[in-house]
Amino acid sequence: MLARRHLLVAAPALALGSSVRAFAQTGAAARPGPVLVNVFLRGGMDSLGVVAPVDDRDYVASRSPELRLLTDGDRPALRLDNAPAGFDFRLHPEMAALLDLYRDKRLAIIHACGLDNGTRSHFDAQDLIERGVASGNDAGRVRGGWMTRWLAAIGGATSPAFAASTAVPNALAAHPGTVAAADLRGGMGLPGGKQAATVLGHLYDGHGAFELAARRTLRGIALVDGHLRQPDGKVAPYQPAGGAVYEETEIGRGLQSVARVIRMDLGIRAFTVDMGGWDTHDNQPPRLANLVGQLSRALGAFHADLHDRLNDIALVVMSEFGRRLRSNRSNGTDHGHAGVMLISARRIAGGRVHGVWPGLSSDVLDNAVDLAMTTDIRSVLAELMSGPLATPQAVAAAFPNFAPKKVGLV
Amino acid sequence: MSLDVDPRVLLNKLAFGPTNGELQTIQRGGAEAWLLRQLTPEPDDDCAPRIAGAQVRVKYESKNPDAKVDEDRPIGVIAQPIEQHWQVVEKGAPFQERAFFRSAVAHATLIRAVHSRWQVREVLSDFWHNHFNVNALGESSVAVSLPAYDRDVIRRHALGNFRAMLEAVATSAAMQIYLNNRSSRGGAANENYARELFELHTLGRPAYLNALYNKWRKVPGALDGRPQGYIDQDVYEAARAFTGWTIEDGTGLGPGRKLPTTGKFIYLEMWHDNYQKRILATEFEPYQKPMSDGLKVLDLVADHPATARYVCGKLCRRLMSDAPDAAALSAAITAWTDNRRKPDQIARTVEAIVRSDAFRRSGGAKIKRPLELYASFARAVDIDASPTTALLGALDGSGQRLFGWGPPTGHPDDSDYWLSSSMMRMRWTLLLGLADDAWKTGAPRRAQMVAEKSTPEQAVDTAHRLLLDREAPPGVHRAIAAGLDLAPGSPFNARKDALPLARRMLAYCAMTPAFQMR
Repeated sequence: MLARRHLLVAAPALALGSSVRAFAQTGAAARPGPVLVNVFLRGGMDSLGVVAPVDDRDYVASRSPELRLLTDGDRPALRLDNAPAGFDFRLHPEMAALLDLYRDKRLAIIHACGLDNGTRSHFDAQDLIERGVASGNDAGRVRGGWMTRWLAAIGGATSPAFAASTAVPNALAAHPGTVAAADLRGGMGLPGGKQAATVLGHLYDGHGAFELAARRTLRGIALVDGHLRQPDGKVAPYQPAGGAVYEETEIGRGLQSVARVIRMDLGIRAFTVDMGGWDTHDNQPPRLANLVGQLSRALGAFHADLHDRLNDIALVVMSEFGRRLRSNRSNGTDHGHAGVMLISARRIAGGRVHGVWPGLSSDVLDNAVDLAMTTDIRSVLAELMSGPLATPQAVAAAFPNFAPKKVGLV
Repeated sequence: MSLDVDPRVLLNKLAFGPTNGELQTIQRGGAEAWLLRQLTPEPDDDCAPRIAGAQVRVKYESKNPDAKVDEDRPIGVIAQPIEQHWQVVEKGAPFQERAFFRSAVAHATLIRAVHSRWQVREVLSDFWHNHFNVNALGESSVAVSLPAYDRDVIRRHALGNFRAMLEAVATSAAMQIYLNNRSSRGGAANENYARELFELHTLGRPAYLNALYNKWRKVPGALDGRPQGYIDQDVYEAARAFTGWTIEDGTGLGPGRKLPTTGKFIYLEMWHDNYQKRILATEFEPYQKPMSDGLKVLDLVADHPATARYVCGKLCRRLMSDAPDAAALSAAITAWTDNRRKPDQIARTVEAIVRSDAFRRSGGAKIKRPLELYASFARAVDIDASPTTALLGALDGSGQRLFGWGPPTGHPDDSDYWLSSSMMRMRWTLLLGLADDAWKTGAPRRAQMVAEKSTPEQAVDTAHRLLLDREAPPGVHRAIAAGLDLAPGSPFNARKDALPLARRMLAYCAMTPAFQMR
């Protein structure tokens, strides 16, 4: 019996000819170089509730214990070695899995980093960060997102990328090869079987945006879906390695999908994952604990699952901004400025909290209210490109008109 | 001047696609009469009888076997007042009892999109639901508040006055909960609502000047009392103005006192920050009358020229194209501003857009969103649509989660967003599911006309004409013939499977760019 994957792939391939073969060749060239996984925490993660100097006098003075990391009590925060001198930096108590990665020197933390722009708008800040620029004027002068340009600069302008979400994040805007799927467990097949596959394979020969998207989708299905299926055509359940268990959460599903696609060896180098829910204007303590726990456990599972691939993976976690030092009376925090980034990669200065700690007294806060930015997100990403990703030539293209400063990761 | 627009363009832009009936109405009475009639709809819901007959499955387990529920619940209850719905909050009813209200409003919306006579009101209701987005798939009390929000806030004002609508939104349970204003109080106000009021509901992102100025008096125009935009200081102060605006949600107010649990708006003087404020370069004196601080903020933002530009720009993008024509936008802004004290401000603005030259030329400029794809297909092929949970699930999966979009932006309105490979797959799934009646939403009745044709070519042409009013181009013929494995000129209507094939032909013709765009 002919396997279903062949049926599904065959029809569009006939109609699409050379473009599909181009993809197939990329797929055959397994392990083209380290891959980049970009995890974006949408809504503005309260960095001061996740990684903080618990003995900083201004920190203690400005926040109620409930909204602070603590050294004692039922759930003391987790101590981080190698943090900026003079402070007891700690990690949220729900992030034990991340602490393990930190102690293994796999994970680096960069504090007080963010966007070099005064916006406190989610949508402005996300857009600028993902476009890899610092102002709206610059956004008009660059094409696509920073990952789009990184791919183009390493010879992958049209090669596939994978977004583990329904929509394509702006970091990959205008990249013509992005395959998007929030959850691969149901497969990525076409509805309507062979008949629909044949019709669709013939239906789109124009150059309008819709037809381009249709052909891109058919190519993406041809590329991925077959690898998800057993010989009988059913979607094979994913079996993570290393005893990893992914939870049934947005970040758990997202990282599981990414791990699965990485293991397919399709030559994909750019991956994105989204996690929402970080806009904690009210009732923050239980909400934040829940979110950071989900994030930490999902990252723990991802690293356990891909334990034999970690030399080929660079993962970055960022959010559009941190949150206000002082809380509001809804027991939440409003939009702030600088935040925190997490980097997991080979041969970096891991197990260390990087970045210049600006302090939290009113005179050094941004606009007297928010953690000041001392490291531009782009400087961190630039070091990632020069070091673990081994693509130093891409920095200038990814971040035009930007002079990265040394962070010390590599 | 009498309106001269292709009826199909008019119905693709201002309605959820053409039906035979609507096309005939316009051909008989003219586009002008159709538009003017649509801009003054009767207040009653013409779909009420259909909605009263529709049901949603509610099913959940309980430790107490008597409390287990598995039943079809009539959605007509959405017509009840909010305090009735809020009984489920008061009783602490299970999540599914609350989520029911979101499903019920979504079902009613799917019914009206296909069947309502007042299509412009439906299109504008969809616009405003996105403009004033709330997420009923997040906090469950937003779902409970959704019927009142949909009925008394969005639909009531969809073609009315913006300032009146803004106040209805600000005092609604749904928005109070969603943007956290209900817990905001003096001392350290919650900024969530105030920030999105400026950024998303009124002046808009282009008027957010915080990256340029961090003192109110530096904003150009501020010293003349007419600042060009706003900065964070305006957000902080506006948040203070709205402290004490809350809802009756059972919150305790001190020993022995608590608010009732009705979902209705209430102003709590004891939570209000009464001291002086300065917002958009306007002084607010201390200790003003109840609510007057907040109402004054609404006056200021509703009247700001940036609001006219921002909201009219969004209306033009929704009704015309992603990059709207400058003259059309300018006409919209003029109508918006001239009519800002009138009860039909929004209707007049829509009319100005429709009368612009660019509107006439804007056919096919936008990707249909999944709701539009569903409704326009149902209208073209005559599905007597009765939505089901399975259909709503398919729509949710397609990227358009009615009343369930997380961030306060509402669904994106640029075409690119809807073209991810994930959403493209779901668009195809949606059409095949509707054509095959996979979700028991009703069969496409006009498939019969296609099945009666004697050759495959005639059948495909008929299907294409039903959807697009013209014969299928050769490429579409070739694609469908290849997939369905039908030899040219072979007998068609004699086949036993002519009807299912005819339904598929409708779906495939709807997958062409011509039908996917509006």
